[in-house]
Amino acid sequence: MPGASQTVSALRSLLAARFPERTRRPCGGVSAAVRPVDDALGGGLPAGCLTELVSAVPSGGGQTVVARLLAATQAARQRIALVDGSDGFAPEAVPADALRHLIWVRCRAPQEALAVADILVRDGNYAAVVLDLRGCAERLLRRTPASAWYRLQRAAEGGAVAVLVQTQSPLVPAVPWRLVLDTPLSLSDAGVPRQAVADRLAVRTERSHAQAQEQLAG
Amino acid sequence: MNFAVLFVPDFALHALRRSDPSLCGRAVALVAGEGRKARVTEASPEARGVSPGLAATLAMSRCPGIALRQREPGAEVEAHRLLVAAAFTLAPRVESTGAGCCTVDLRGADRARTEALMRLRAAELAGTGLPLRIGAGATPLLASYAARCAGPVLIVDDPEGFLRALPLFFAEPTPEQEQILGGWGIGTLGGLTALPKAEVGRRLGAEGALLWERAAGQSTRVLRLVEPARSFAAEWSYEPPVESIEPLFFKLRRFAERIALELRGAGFVAEKLSLTLLLEDDTDHRREFRLPEPGANVEGWLRVLSAHLATVRTDARIAGVRLVAGPARPPERQEGLFDAGLRDPASFWENLARVAAIVGDDRVGTPAPLDTHRPDAFVMERPAEAVPPPEGAPVHPACGPTLRRFRPPWPVRVACEQGLPARLEGGRLEGRVRAALGPWLAAGDWWRPEAWAVETWQVELAVGGVYQLARTQGGWCVEGMLD
Repeated sequence: MPGASQTVSALRSLLAARFPERTRRPCGGVSAAVRPVDDALGGGLPAGCLTELVSAVPSGGGQTVVARLLAATQAARQRIALVDGSDGFAPEAVPADALRHLIWVRCRAPQEALAVADILVRDGNYAAVVLDLRGCAERLLRRTPASAWYRLQRAAEGGAVAVLVQTQSPLVPAVPWRLVLDTPLSLSDAGVPRQAVADRLAVRTERSHAQAQEQLAG
Repeated sequence: MNFAVLFVPDFALHALRRSDPSLCGRAVALVAGEGRKARVTEASPEARGVSPGLAATLAMSRCPGIALRQREPGAEVEAHRLLVAAAFTLAPRVESTGAGCCTVDLRGADRARTEALMRLRAAELAGTGLPLRIGAGATPLLASYAARCAGPVLIVDDPEGFLRALPLFFAEPTPEQEQILGGWGIGTLGGLTALPKAEVGRRLGAEGALLWERAAGQSTRVLRLVEPARSFAAEWSYEPPVESIEPLFFKLRRFAERIALELRGAGFVAEKLSLTLLLEDDTDHRREFRLPEPGANVEGWLRVLSAHLATVRTDARIAGVRLVAGPARPPERQEGLFDAGLRDPASFWENLARVAAIVGDDRVGTPAPLDTHRPDAFVMERPAEAVPPPEGAPVHPACGPTLRRFRPPWPVRVACEQGLPARLEGGRLEGRVRAALGPWLAAGDWWRPEAWAVETWQVELAVGGVYQLARTQGGWCVEGMLD
C-alpha cells in the first residue's frame, strides 16, 4: 500500500500534468543582496509569489535583510514598498540614499497592513512589496482569516512583484517559500560591515513547494 | 462618498436584449411560468400597456407583435460580468451584490476623478445595451437608494435631505409594518425618521428599530469582495448554429466590450487576441492575432477580427465562438534610456491615495532623515516620480545589525554595575546583560525650548537579542532591537 508521501507525490505529478501553467517557475525576481537568502531562494525573491521570512529569535537579522533589500533595489533603480505592520522601521538606520525609492506605509494594526498590501501588490509599479508583521499582536495575527492570505497570493500571482512577508512565527498558509532566521546576532557584530553581517545570517529553508513543483514540472 | 452601487433596472430583460440582435428596438417581455399560467415579469418600454404581473395572453392582445421570452441565464451571466468589470474600473474593492447590482468601496478614491469615471461608465454601458445607474453615498445602503433614483449618476452629499422624500418601500418594510405606518400617516422615509428611534422600537419591536435604521440609511455591512478577472476570455454557444457573419460579429462585439473593461479594471491592455470558432462537426477554426499596438480599444480589436472573418469559409455551421485576450502591462509612458520612472503613474498615485485613506495622509510616503542627531528624526515626503540613480559608495558604510524601533519606546529599569548596564528589569524586556557598548552621548537644540539630550547604549542579553537603550531625563527606555 503506497505511503502518504507517495500519494501526495502522485497527486502533484497529476496536477503538474493537468495544469502545467500553474507549476511553471515564476519569471523575474529581486535579489535580496543577502547571500544566504538568495542561495536558499535560488537567486532572489521570486516574483509573482509570496516568500515568508520568519524571525524565530530576537535579533535574527530580519531587519538587516530589509536594509540590504533596500540597497539592492536602489542599485537596480526599482521601486519598493514597505508595509510596516507595527511601525518599526527606523529610517536613520539605513543610508539616506537607500530610502529615495521606498514607499513606507506606517500601519497601526495587521488588518490595516493586509488591506494596504492588497492594494500595493496589485499596483504594478513595484518590484518588491515587504509586508512586515513582526511586532504585531499574535492574537490579532491569528485572527486573520486564511482567505485574506489566499487573496494576497492570488493578487501576486502572475505579476512582476516579489512579496516578502516578515513574521515572528510561521503564519502564511500554503506559502510557496518559508525561510527561518533562528540564530541571533550578537553585539560582536556591531563593528562589522553590514554586507558581511548579512552574508553570515543563518537561514533555514522550512518550506519550498516551489522547488518541488519545479522538479515535477521537469 | 464612501460607497457606490452600480444597478441595472430590469436586468434580466436588458441582458436578453443585448444578447439577441433581433430584439433590438422591439416590444419584448419576459415571462415566467408555462401555458396559461405564464405571467409577465419584465417588459420593455416599447411594450405599451404591458406591465409585470400581466398574463402572457393578455400581453399579446394588448401589444400585438410583442416578443415573449423566457430568461436567458447565459446572457445574464455575461451582462453581470460586464457590470463587475465596470465596477473594477472605479475601485479595486468590489462586491457582486446580486444579479445586475455591484457595490464598490470608494474610500480613498479621488472624488472628481471617480465621478467623471462613473458618468463615463454609465454612458459606455448604456451604449452596450445596459442602462446603468450609479449611486454613491456614505453607506452601501444609502448608495443603493441613490442608485435606484439615479439618472444615471447620483451622489448623495446630504443624506437627510435625500431620504426625506423617498417612499417608504425603499426601506423594505413588511406588509404589517407598512399597514401600521400607513395608519400613522407615514409614507416616506423622512416621515419615519422624524420619529424617535427608541419610540419606534418600543412600538414595533426590534424589527421596527431595524426598519428605522434602514430608513435613515445608517445600516452598514462588510462587503463580500470578489476578485478581479484573471483570465480575459468569453465564450458563447449558438442554438441553433449560425451560418452568417452578422450574429457572430454581434456577439464578438459584446465580448470585446466586456473583456476590454476587465482589462482596464485590472490595469492591463491586450497584446494579442485568440479567436476560436467551434463548428457543428466538432472541429474548430482557431486564429491568433498579435495586435499592432497593445491596447483596450474595442473598435481596434473588431477591425482586426472583421478583416479576418470576412475571409473565413468553414465546412460546417458555427456552433460556438470563443475570444481570449492576452494581457500585458500598458506602455503608459515612453521611458528614457536611463530613466526608471513609473510604469503606470495614474495607478500609482490613485493607489497611494487609497492607502492614505486607510492609514492617514501623514503615514505614507518616502522617509527622509532630518539633518540632526536627534533620535528618530525624519519627515515623510511625497514619493519621487522616477527612482534617482544611486550615489557613489558612502564614506562610512553602514555597520552592524540594523535598528528596528519600538514606537513608543518601552520603559525599563536598568541596574548598572561599574557604570555599565548589568540587568534590565520591570518592563516588557527583562534579563541579565551579557555585553554592553556605549555610552554614545548626543544633545541638541539647546537654544530652543525643545532641547534634548540622550545617552545611548547597545546591550546583548544573556537570553539572546541585542537591544538599543536610551537614557534621558525621563529615565531609561528600550528604543528598539538591533536585528
